[in-house]
Amino acid sequence: MKVNRYKLFVLVFFISSIALAQQRPISGTVTDSKGLPLPGVNIIIKDTNRGTQSDFDGVYTIEAADGEIIMYSYLGFITKEINVSNQNEIDVILEEDVSSLEEVVVVGFGTQSRRKITANIASISSDQINEIPTPSVQSTLTGKAAGVQVTQLNGKVEGGIKVRVRGISTISSSQEPLYVVDGIPITNADESINDSPINPLIALNPNDIESIDILKDASSAAIYGARGTNGVIIITTKQGKRGKTKVSLNSSYGVSSATNTRDWLNADQYVELITESALNVGISQAGIEGQFDFYANGLDWRTGEVDTDWQELALVDGSVQDFGVSVSGGSEKTRFFMSTAYNNTDGIVRGNQLERYSFRTNIDHNLSEKFRVGTNSSISKSIIDRISNDNAFATPLQAIAQTPLSPAYLADGVTPNNNTTEYYNFLTEEFNGNFKTNIWRILANVYAEYQILPELNFRSEIGYDLLSQVAERFSGSLTESASVGGFGTTNTVQTEKYNLNNYFTYNKVFNDVFDLEGTLGMSYEDSFRRAQFNQGQGFPSDDLQTLNSAAEIVAGGSSRTRFNFLSYFGRATLSIADKYLLKASLRYDGSSRFGEENRFGWFPAASAGWIISEESFLNNSAVVSLLKLRGSWGITGNAGIGNFASLSLFQGSPYNQRAGLAPTQLGNPALKWERTTQVDVGLDFGFLNNRISGEIDYYVKDTEDLLLNEPVPGTSGFPNITRNVGEMKNTGFEFIINTKNIVSQDGSWSTSLNFSTIDNEVTKLPGGDIIAGRNIVREGETVSSFYVVEFAGADPANGDALFIRNTVNADGTIDRSTTNNFNEADRIIAGSPYPDFIAGLTNNVTYKGIDFSFTFQGEWGASIYNNGGRFQSGNARFFDNQTTDQLRRWQQPGDITDVPQARLFSTNGQQASTRYLQDSDFIRLRNLTLGYTIPKDVTKKFYMERVRIYFTGFNLLTFTDYDGYDPESTADFNGDSNIQVGETFYSAPPAKTYTLGINIDF
Amino acid sequence: MKTLNYIILTLLLIAVSIVGCEDNLELEPEQSLLPEVAVSNPANVQNILTGIYDEAAQIVSYGGQINLASELLANDTDLSWNGTFEQPAQLVEKQLVPDNTFVRDYWLNAYEVNNQANIVLANLDVFEDQTERDRVEGEAKFLRALAYFDLARLFGQSYEATGGNAQLAAPIVLDAVLNPNDITSPSRNTVEEVYTQVVADLQDANNLLPDANGIFADKYAAQALLARVYLQQGNYAGARDAADDVLQNSGHSLTATYGGAFNNDGNSSEDIFAWQITSQDGVNEMNTFWAGSDFGGRSGNPDVSINGSFFDIFDDVNDERSQFFYNTSGGTATTKWQSQFANIPFLRIAEMHLIRAEANFRLTTTTGLDPLVEINALRGRSNAAALGAITLQDIIDERKRELAFEGFALHDIKRLQGTVGTLNYDDDFLVMPVPQRERDANPNLMQNPGYGN
Repeated sequence: MKVNRYKLFVLVFFISSIALAQQRPISGTVTDSKGLPLPGVNIIIKDTNRGTQSDFDGVYTIEAADGEIIMYSYLGFITKEINVSNQNEIDVILEEDVSSLEEVVVVGFGTQSRRKITANIASISSDQINEIPTPSVQSTLTGKAAGVQVTQLNGKVEGGIKVRVRGISTISSSQEPLYVVDGIPITNADESINDSPINPLIALNPNDIESIDILKDASSAAIYGARGTNGVIIITTKQGKRGKTKVSLNSSYGVSSATNTRDWLNADQYVELITESALNVGISQAGIEGQFDFYANGLDWRTGEVDTDWQELALVDGSVQDFGVSVSGGSEKTRFFMSTAYNNTDGIVRGNQLERYSFRTNIDHNLSEKFRVGTNSSISKSIIDRISNDNAFATPLQAIAQTPLSPAYLADGVTPNNNTTEYYNFLTEEFNGNFKTNIWRILANVYAEYQILPELNFRSEIGYDLLSQVAERFSGSLTESASVGGFGTTNTVQTEKYNLNNYFTYNKVFNDVFDLEGTLGMSYEDSFRRAQFNQGQGFPSDDLQTLNSAAEIVAGGSSRTRFNFLSYFGRATLSIADKYLLKASLRYDGSSRFGEENRFGWFPAASAGWIISEESFLNNSAVVSLLKLRGSWGITGNAGIGNFASLSLFQGSPYNQRAGLAPTQLGNPALKWERTTQVDVGLDFGFLNNRISGEIDYYVKDTEDLLLNEPVPGTSGFPNITRNVGEMKNTGFEFIINTKNIVSQDGSWSTSLNFSTIDNEVTKLPGGDIIAGRNIVREGETVSSFYVVEFAGADPANGDALFIRNTVNADGTIDRSTTNNFNEADRIIAGSPYPDFIAGLTNNVTYKGIDFSFTFQGEWGASIYNNGGRFQSGNARFFDNQTTDQLRRWQQPGDITDVPQARLFSTNGQQASTRYLQDSDFIRLRNLTLGYTIPKDVTKKFYMERVRIYFTGFNLLTFTDYDGYDPESTADFNGDSNIQVGETFYSAPPAKTYTLGINIDF
Repeated sequence: MKTLNYIILTLLLIAVSIVGCEDNLELEPEQSLLPEVAVSNPANVQNILTGIYDEAAQIVSYGGQINLASELLANDTDLSWNGTFEQPAQLVEKQLVPDNTFVRDYWLNAYEVNNQANIVLANLDVFEDQTERDRVEGEAKFLRALAYFDLARLFGQSYEATGGNAQLAAPIVLDAVLNPNDITSPSRNTVEEVYTQVVADLQDANNLLPDANGIFADKYAAQALLARVYLQQGNYAGARDAADDVLQNSGHSLTATYGGAFNNDGNSSEDIFAWQITSQDGVNEMNTFWAGSDFGGRSGNPDVSINGSFFDIFDDVNDERSQFFYNTSGGTATTKWQSQFANIPFLRIAEMHLIRAEANFRLTTTTGLDPLVEINALRGRSNAAALGAITLQDIIDERKRELAFEGFALHDIKRLQGTVGTLNYDDDFLVMPVPQRERDANPNLMQNPGYGN
């Protein structure tokens, strides 16, 4: 009844509003300042819901009454309002909004307008960054930039993140891009003490970031010379703006869980399968039941008294709490931005947690009209509750190997059962141990800028970066360290980096046609790392966990290492009549890391662009708003190798507390950076006043002088040496299309789609194949391809595992027959750990106070090898619990299945083969945000400028045929190996998070 | 004009910064020495020599895994593998694959030891004191011989006393590798060639080394190892005489009790040579695999448990050796490796008694001691009743009772031409495959029969 009354009210309201106005049709044409008609302009009568759009010729008609106001709005133009008095025809000229066109892109040592760049640079703005509820900055880039693959190793909160810009250009050096924060290259070295990497950028508060620009092609990255090959990620933090002081507050809370769980045998299924497996190898029924009795620790497994779900104990519900306040503003002379934030992320893997406190002050002050000084400084502290790497019994997810017959706890319900579990019970770690890592990070820089001449500017900046970490681990008397009475480790690291940049910039327009910009300068960078550690054992009590109480200090050490770079660089860009763009740059880089014979190198780059749409034949076009053709060429390097890789070295190697020496590496005085020549051709386009815009790029990245840890005959006494051999090629298309589907007074809808292909090929490998584990580097193939024997299921006759021989016959054909002898089958290239196609799709919708956005991310072409498969899905070869798919094992002659006969303690198909290799294509709803901004007239009453309430979901949906935990989660203990990739080993899936939050601006 | 001044200033600034920073690019490591320094003086070469012991004592080799390989490959029913490592499981199943990482590391470590010994031998000229030089040369040759002896035993078919021995073992590399140009791609030498090298090195070591040398190899360590090598070759006279020399002259003697020979932090009177483990240096990998987890062993608790069938060899319930076991949740563990930071005995005087007795018995000689008296003396130490008469089998059984789990199992089966389950002593699968990584890096290496091509 109530509802009906409301409807009636609305109806009456509408009728009365029609009755009140004396409307008549008004028509006209909308054009831009050049007189070109503008189609699709939104034309609305202010404060009403009446509106229309101009047609293709810019012509419109709208009903309006005297005294009403017509609003003309169009993206990229300044909105115009016209009062209706007596006119019947109103022609309108809209002025271009210059500020919106001149989007600025941060390049190394300066900025440039996007319109004029000739390079390929992807930019991500703060509003996109803030939407992702994750403590890791890099995760905000996933799916947002073409050709950039961002993967968090696994579900640990502090976990390492791999960022790959335009594929893999190296085998032995670092694959990570160079990170530059406010002009200063920062330390990006993982300092984890247990092989499971810690994201070095965990210390950065994503909410402090204004923009992230990714220099992808050589013409932009070459200004960073020997470190440009993997791309450069330039992070710019927020600056205050002149005007009223703004206080912003953000608070959010979310809950999280694993994106996926797997199906494991329950107690009954376990008993069935293991019993069969035991009987098959001649173990008696009584014998195997005795084993079950042992596991059950006095409980009756026959009646279901015990059925432990170990997965449920390992993967738990997590949470994310985020709170931040910032104050920004400024006067004519001084601008400032200050912030503080707190983040508390409870991981989805038991015992894993992160807390971070961060503070930032950015100040910018004009001493005089010509002299400007400033600072960007941040301090943060992160406290991480860590867990073991994936390759340890102590890591939670290895609990899925435990049998469901073992109770998790002893009869007291509190003490973890370690008496009758198959493996060490990970619950003991939390119960009787402690593993904390504290990280303090200071990022600070001070700069001065002086305008020598109106066209000549000098800037000097000094940066300081300190990463200080203390990792402390204690394993008590019930843990794996029981035999020594408890074990403690303290490990500290301080990595300092100084950076000095001095450079001139020059900018002058000659004859109104030639716009010249130049940069010339030098940079010096010095990084110094100190590390100390101590280990002790024999603790009087599990409550005394510092090494002061250790009965014996059993290990200790300290080390110092250092590297530096000295560089000179210059860049000139020339734009002629805003149509023809030319750029050239040169960097001269020297580093202590390289061999004496090759200490310095030149890194040139050049690029050109032609803004076709500025030509007379196009500049009047109503359809084409931007058409820019650009091409670039450049040489970059990769210096991501050890600090002293060029030297032959002997290291301390004591024996029985007596000094000793042992050779540790074979040097190579000719060692130098890897050299990448990259060519990029691109087209930027915009149609219908940039309602549709985008970029198409094609690049070829040729890397030579690959630094390879080339395996050498072990008979030399060394497993490998580092050499500049080998060549690799990456090619790819990148396609970006942005559309503004709806642009109106009340709302908008825009879509951004990017996709890219990546084709990697090792083109020269003089030393022959490099094989590490299940991966191979082979000429003509994608780097790190999977190299395993081909599995062919179970022999229907006897249940033996079968493999395809794949040996070469005398006539050159391949023998595709099967064998049950693993050693008779040859390995084949069976897949790649890298996707060859990645895509991202983002939609933004606003309607009145509501904002809605979501991003899908997809990757195709990669595979994952489950190195734990031999234990988890190995037709009950061990007592390990099995995935439920193992129930379809071969049981009797005639059975057709891919799971061989179960044979306890007897190998039958558990060897490394395609059995454990699977495609990992996926599409994922990466994030989804729904926000509502309360109308200003309401919030004003409470002295608030803006109040927004939002919901954000992260990793909400995953579409994949992959059977493992997650198509993005891989093992974390091969972190340093570039070759052993794409393997999972009890690796936790990432978190799926639901967050509610509020933004308030005062 | 003013512009010009600024340009000059700019160039000046840049010039100054070049001068200031360039020297800084010359950095040297603070934890490592360059090779020219490392081999420049006697102290450093001595350090490299000490480093070889550390290398050889790595877990992959004499820290425990070499012994584990011998025991597991020779096992039929006496032992159970309860551990999670797949590599030893393949040993138990006699289903080794060429990319088994334990197998890879036996090979790599042996050649690391070899190269470090070669480096020392190539730089003996730094020593001015002849005594010191001889000692260093002797130790290096002892360690090199050790590496080749096990390469031959693990990667080649067994040495046949009847001669021939053209079956492939491992490459012999005697030149030091200190820079990349020294690397070669050698082919495999024959078993005969490798044994010849081993014997030559050990004879040199025996001649060069002093009578006593602390915890490091001395004259009698070389002689004792030589006895072991001769026994493996079926050269019983050589084995007998070498063992006799050690027994007569080394000053080592049986510990009062059997238990006294094991779990010692320092060397016992019985240790001619032992791998030194302390809580601060080295890992006792025998403990890792053979001890219960309460004593530092892995999760199999123990990873290698001893089954009932093993105990059939004992003929006297009072034999201390039959009680040198304890029970844990995973089964029965041997007490030999119970202490996590104890030394690992490598050449025990008990072995010399067994070698001398066996060789004397086979040759019907009584060099040093009558075999029956010698065996009874050894039994007496463990409270086992004396035997009235002995056969060769008694001596072999005594050897097993005394030396069980110390890495002799496989080599004794091969020497005595026995069997492992249904496999004959010369079965292809009782020989390790040449590691896949090694054949990937060196095309001149032939694979052993049975492991594909």
